[in-house]
Amino acid sequence: MNLSMIRRLVLKDWYLYRWPILASVAGGVISLGIIAYGGKPGFHFGLTIAVTILAFIGALLPISTIIQERKEQTLPFVMSLPISYFEYTAAKILANLLIFLVPWLTLVLGGFALIMTTPAMPHGLVPFFAIMSMEILVSTCLIFAVALITESQGWTIGAILVGNLALNVVGYFVGHIPSIGSGLWGPAIQWSPAATISLLAEFALIALILGLAFFVQSRKRDFI
Amino acid sequence: MNDLSVLFEGVSKKYPHFSLEDIHLELPTGSIMGFIGANGAGKSTTIRILMGLVHQDAGQVRVLGHSMPADQTAAKLDIGFVSEDLRLYGAATLDWHMGFMQPIYPRWDQRYAESLLRRFDLKPKQTIRGLSHGQRVKAALLLALARCPRLLVLDEPTTGLDPVARQEVLEELMAVLADEERTILFSSHNTLDVEQISDRITFIDRGRIIDSDDKEVFLDRWRRLRLVLPPEVDLPRLPGIVQVGGSGRLPVLTTNTFGPAMVAACAQMGATVQAVDTMTLEEIFVANVHSRREGQPA
Repeated sequence: MNLSMIRRLVLKDWYLYRWPILASVAGGVISLGIIAYGGKPGFHFGLTIAVTILAFIGALLPISTIIQERKEQTLPFVMSLPISYFEYTAAKILANLLIFLVPWLTLVLGGFALIMTTPAMPHGLVPFFAIMSMEILVSTCLIFAVALITESQGWTIGAILVGNLALNVVGYFVGHIPSIGSGLWGPAIQWSPAATISLLAEFALIALILGLAFFVQSRKRDFI
Repeated sequence: MNDLSVLFEGVSKKYPHFSLEDIHLELPTGSIMGFIGANGAGKSTTIRILMGLVHQDAGQVRVLGHSMPADQTAAKLDIGFVSEDLRLYGAATLDWHMGFMQPIYPRWDQRYAESLLRRFDLKPKQTIRGLSHGQRVKAALLLALARCPRLLVLDEPTTGLDPVARQEVLEELMAVLADEERTILFSSHNTLDVEQISDRITFIDRGRIIDSDDKEVFLDRWRRLRLVLPPEVDLPRLPGIVQVGGSGRLPVLTTNTFGPAMVAACAQMGATVQAVDTMTLEEIFVANVHSRREGQPA
């Protein structure tokens, strides 16, 4: 494994998409500010902005760094470098994940901080918030994997729709799990085995999606 | 000149509507091979297999001693690749591209890169998006040359260039040829470009290599003979004749094995050889393709 080339390709994507990264972080900080100081309407408005930012950057990244790379014919340039397709896949997954983690971590850590420090926020939100944050990461990994495997804008947009639908469906079901939903608006964190299982399932799903992406990519025979 | 930089042995690749069949290709180190074929003949597929970007269904490919596609990472460290469909990052500058490439290639020659910048009249701080097509090709060529590759693979690099830019690119390539250890594979459907810089020629058509030899050998053995036949004489089948044109008593024969014996054979059957014309590489290519296609189904 040519780690040095993978690192260079990751840094290349960081450089080329530095402005969307900065914009998403700035947007994330603003949305946290609205949640913290906007009262009840601000909570809903800020949360909507935060989720929109994550959905936007989660969709923009694979379309820009993977689909556009093929469409704009920069893929032959990358593949002419001393790198295998497996290493290219690793670089793309790493670059997209790491870039996405910047606004995601900003919002998740900021969200936890707000829940724990703002008196109006019930601490009981923590398990639900953790599960839903991880669900956003699962959906984003699904979009990355579909973009990499299919290299098709149509399929990637389909994956974005599925990811957003899944977010709503998971939110509904997790909120209706008694051990999680009952303490949602309570003053104390009620961490239940169901919450742990949900998080572990999400971790497993991320590993499965990324593993599948590597497996399919390693079986491809034509790259250009 | 004895060892091979590129070796294809029985390479095949099947697509639903096109197949590359039983490709045998040898590119000796230090030679410049012109790889000529019509659009869709299989030049780019062959080159993509050479680069490890497409995996062959059958056959062996060795590039600079490396087995492809398995050892493509090591092989590509010594290959400079410019293709008609290769683009640089539009939002980044040429300077950024140079900075990106420099640490990847141990033999990167920054002084040479800067001299190419001046020679190609490129502005390093300009984004690629702001460059003309000709400047983009030159930028890609600069990045390929400055890494000082042992093998330079150029897939239709002059397509779409205006005559001035095309000549500048060809002149730079000819300057590069001063390095006798460098091997070049130059693919094009423009035979004039290929004729200028190549010392070996390979023709490909419909996924098959139809001929491969030294350029001078091609130019020496291909001739057009203009004959005048006496009224009572029919044109017999002569060995080495690949095409018969003209009409009636004034046939024009195209041969790929020209020699004094052929003129003597024509005279022996009573024909008068009016002229023996040399052929350009383009004429040789077209005659070669037509004669092969007549012998195989479309």
